[in-house]
Amino acid sequence: MEPILVVENVTRRFGNGATEVVAVKDISFTVAPGEIALIMGPSGSGKTTLLSMVGGLLKPSAGRIQIGPDEISAMDERRLPEVRLRRVGFIFQDFNLLSALSCLDNTAIVAQLAGRSRQQAQQQARPLLEQLGLGHRLNFPPEKLSGGEKQRVAIARALVNQPDIILADEPTANLDSQHGHETMRRLRRIAKEENRSVIIVSHDQRIKDIADRVLWLEDGQFKDVVEMAIDPVCGMAVDREHTPARTEYDGRLFYFCALGCRDEFLAAPEQFWTRQS
Amino acid sequence: MRAEGLFYLAWRNLAQSRTQFSLGVGGVTLALLLMLALDALLTGTGENLVAYITQSGADIFVAQEGVKNMHMAASAITRRDVSLASHAAGVASASPILYIAGPVKAGGAEVLSYIVGFDPAEPLGGPSEVVAGTTALREDEAIIDGVVARSQGLNLGDEVEILGETFTIAGLTEGQTNIINSVTFIRLRDFQKLSGSDAVSYALLKVKPGYDPDAVVAAITTRNADDVNALTRADFAREERQIIQDMSLEVINIMNLAGLLIGLAVTALTLYTSVLHRRQEYGVLKAIGAKNWQLYTVVIAQAVLSLSLGAGLAVGLVWLLGLTLPLVIPNVALVLTGQAVIRVGLAALLIGVIAALAPAWQMARLDPAQGFRG
Repeated sequence: MEPILVVENVTRRFGNGATEVVAVKDISFTVAPGEIALIMGPSGSGKTTLLSMVGGLLKPSAGRIQIGPDEISAMDERRLPEVRLRRVGFIFQDFNLLSALSCLDNTAIVAQLAGRSRQQAQQQARPLLEQLGLGHRLNFPPEKLSGGEKQRVAIARALVNQPDIILADEPTANLDSQHGHETMRRLRRIAKEENRSVIIVSHDQRIKDIADRVLWLEDGQFKDVVEMAIDPVCGMAVDREHTPARTEYDGRLFYFCALGCRDEFLAAPEQFWTRQS
Repeated sequence: MRAEGLFYLAWRNLAQSRTQFSLGVGGVTLALLLMLALDALLTGTGENLVAYITQSGADIFVAQEGVKNMHMAASAITRRDVSLASHAAGVASASPILYIAGPVKAGGAEVLSYIVGFDPAEPLGGPSEVVAGTTALREDEAIIDGVVARSQGLNLGDEVEILGETFTIAGLTEGQTNIINSVTFIRLRDFQKLSGSDAVSYALLKVKPGYDPDAVVAAITTRNADDVNALTRADFAREERQIIQDMSLEVINIMNLAGLLIGLAVTALTLYTSVLHRRQEYGVLKAIGAKNWQLYTVVIAQAVLSLSLGAGLAVGLVWLLGLTLPLVIPNVALVLTGQAVIRVGLAALLIGVIAALAPAWQMARLDPAQGFRG
């Protein structure tokens, strides 16, 4: 499958001479449509810089970034807002909703920026918010919403223009564990059902299980790329190194999110695995 | 993004904080009110000042050569001049008046007045109408304005002192008092007796139906240009107003400049703080795809909205003042002209454009990546 995002030998420097800092060093990776890539790493590792470059908010000092057919790293600054508007959906750590607008208008504004009338944009935004369980909060201002609700508005805003890629910066940082988990499940569902790629930057170890791939960024470079396995019983992504249960069946190694899933699998493996001829 | 969306966002930004909204719009309103109220006051004063001229019923005023108005002017023409004017083609009547600006002692106060001596037998020269008493004055009778009478507790039959002589109030007018003076009428014959001369100041001409006052003016000027100056009522009133405008031009300019600067400062500060306050949000808008021009439009729309509201409120307040102020201060009139509203509208536009410059510069420098930096 053709990747939707190609990042090739990307470097980003800040300052020059003695004050030069290389935030991202010669990084390459691709993301397939519908894939969820989780970028983890310590503070100051270059995660946000990388995310900003992928989102067309920052130009790389060297290298190539391509979203679909568009090489955004070679684009004129004046063309980048259009890419950000139509190809990328942003979910920010602090939600970053516009305080003067209602839930509905906060979501609709992205469609309006893309040229829809206010009415058309609202028609587009309303079902998204309703799907995310915010049908009763459409006219509420952000200040009257809980953290989880704000995050759902932010997700709806990121989706309203049907972008190819969703970039989420610490999406669970301001949420409790329950809402954080719900948010991640939603993102996973969106990625899988709508075939949108999701790139998440996070410190939160708990969300590793929803990612298809975890990339570890340190000192501006990927150190060790951890491939995630899928639990054949519940469909959850599982870190191969830190899985609580694994088993070999039919000459293949299976990873599970919990012992219960492994036991269920072992009881009737043919329900979950069909030999590939 | 379409204009409606940008304007809606601007409106929401503006209206979100009631305090900021009130301060912004209130400041602009006050600044524009300052400009508009002074203009309306001077226009109203000018209109009141020419009330005698505009309500006289005369089509043409004949004055001494070189004299173009009444305020601060002395005019003397002879009976022959009046007669010559009356015989010009198209003149129906020529009514002489004697005029001087002087004090009228009324109820212990001295009121600066235009003292007009008119002949009750002539069709023109006296008050256009009286609200009490009569215009058919007898010897040593006077007509004063109702505002003066009320302020001094005078009524018909009471006495006033005009040019050192005592007169009995026989009639009361309305609308003949302004912020500067009042108009008092006595008989021409009484006035001439006091001045010891049979000269008159002006002749008020009525033109026959079908005749053009401008053509009659030209005819009189041709026949008697060395002695008199004839002007149509409109020209004579314009010259009178011009005197007021010339006298108050510097004050108007200073107040307009003050209003402009206050309005500019308030609008610029409100916009600047609003943009500063929402810096993060504008950064987010940039990050999610808003273009610089769209953000500029939001700021300009915010300026236009607050200035339009301010200008609308200022116009409304001056209009309201125009209705209520004369009830409290009867000799003050505020007249709002379309020209003044346009002038203030243009000033508001100028303020908006200048005030939006700094926030627009701020917008251009906003880093869209700041949304990720929190």
